[in-house]
Amino acid sequence: MKKLIYIPLILLSCSCLRLDSFLFNADPSIESYGLDDYEGTVEIEVGPEYDIADSLIHLISMQSDPSGDNKKIHAVYLGNVANIATDTVILYCHGNRDHLDFYWPRVKLLANVGAKNRYGVLAMDYRGFGLSEGPSTEEGMYADVDACMRWLKLMGLTDERLIIYGFSVGSAPATKLTAEPRTMQPAMLMLEAPFASEEVFVEDASGLSLPGSYFTSLEINNGDLIRKVEEPFFWIHGVDDDYIQIKTHGETVFGNYEGTYSEAHRIEGGNHGDTPYIMGYPEYLTALAKFIERP
Amino acid sequence: MGIIRNLGLLFLAFAFVGCNATRVVKPLDKGEKQLAAGFGGPGIIYTGAPIPVPLTSVSYAHGLDTGLTLSAGLHTTSAAFGVIQSDIAVGISAFQSKSEKFGVTVTPAINFLYDFYENNGRTYPQLDALSWWQYGEKDHLLYGGVGTWIELRKRKAHEQVQNNEVLPWITVGHQFNMEKWSYMTEFKYLGFQHETDLSVVDYVSPGGRGTIGFYFGISRSFGK
Repeated sequence: MKKLIYIPLILLSCSCLRLDSFLFNADPSIESYGLDDYEGTVEIEVGPEYDIADSLIHLISMQSDPSGDNKKIHAVYLGNVANIATDTVILYCHGNRDHLDFYWPRVKLLANVGAKNRYGVLAMDYRGFGLSEGPSTEEGMYADVDACMRWLKLMGLTDERLIIYGFSVGSAPATKLTAEPRTMQPAMLMLEAPFASEEVFVEDASGLSLPGSYFTSLEINNGDLIRKVEEPFFWIHGVDDDYIQIKTHGETVFGNYEGTYSEAHRIEGGNHGDTPYIMGYPEYLTALAKFIERP
Repeated sequence: MGIIRNLGLLFLAFAFVGCNATRVVKPLDKGEKQLAAGFGGPGIIYTGAPIPVPLTSVSYAHGLDTGLTLSAGLHTTSAAFGVIQSDIAVGISAFQSKSEKFGVTVTPAINFLYDFYENNGRTYPQLDALSWWQYGEKDHLLYGGVGTWIELRKRKAHEQVQNNEVLPWITVGHQFNMEKWSYMTEFKYLGFQHETDLSVVDYVSPGGRGTIGFYFGISRSFGK
């Protein structure tokens, strides 16, 4: 009978360590945003032909989830703020790395869709990234993107002129807030290198049908949520993506979409972060513009 | 991209859970008991260097009869992350030469995994077959063989078809025996049919398939 005491001891030794906080790859160490003057590593580099006039770059901050886990988050708007009431705006949800400066060239590229400053672009740092306060959490990420929608709505934007673009982990808030809208209902969903769920990550790594809950409490599930999306859907993914596999992640998300219109861009030679570069910036921007402006 | 993006993803290599040093290479004598601890796991490239994922486990083995050993293990690293992972195995002497210097051990086993967060359980049958050669005054062991986990589920997440019905491996190892203590070093080539070159984890993967696992074990015998 004495040996039975070891059973609860073993169970007690099973602590509550989770990997969630490790899964966010944020860098909160910067003191200000460098944007064009940033000298650190960036995802991709773009030429001066994609530069945006300083007068059309606006650093802003806002309170996110003020009635709950209230945090001050930071964002950048490219365009004329006074025209948001009439412009179409692309809300950009960046990936899981560092902060806005890392993604700044991508944000500038989006400000060149159609033509320079044809569309307004809003990009934010989720909590924990860059200057945005607080620890990174899944729910916080949704709240922060929704806070941006609240700001856009306050500036006069309406649902039919809101396009949401999610890259990599940014596919989670983009899909979530299109499938289950809070403040605004985006009119179009664009996903670059989306992941299906953490479960697929685990399956890819193991070759076994292991649950994602063995490793993380994150409940990101674009693979199923996309079924609820009715808005037009643009998907782009590098065929050689060695981080979020196109076959198991991207194709699952794209295949599960049941909405009104979709188009897929599988980019040969594209890895996780370089797909616009591999595709060619003009071709990338043209594809985005054609999707947005299709009849 | 070349490197593991963050520490969390390193732990996704936990998912190659089939992996611990072999519990019992040669069945224990009748009545003999053995306590063991293992360290190691699938090899990954971390900051440019190959390292084994630091998985740990403890196990207990008991010689039920001549050529028949029961063992049970608990994966302590998994437990630290709230996932109970245990294995129960029966090592059976399938062949032993008259000189007792050479033999074959077949070990059917079953692995259980369960997490306390979402109450997800999994069961994986396992089968190992090892040949061993005994040498030297202390009867050190050289051994090698094959094994596999068996996937019982036909569907993966999002109702995708599960095409990996097995997670096989090839084992090569050495057991250095002292009077009561034994020290084990083992290599496994895991999941060699499974493409890992596009995996989120940078495995040490020859030809973009599977991964090489590195394991170390220490055990002490009682009642010998």
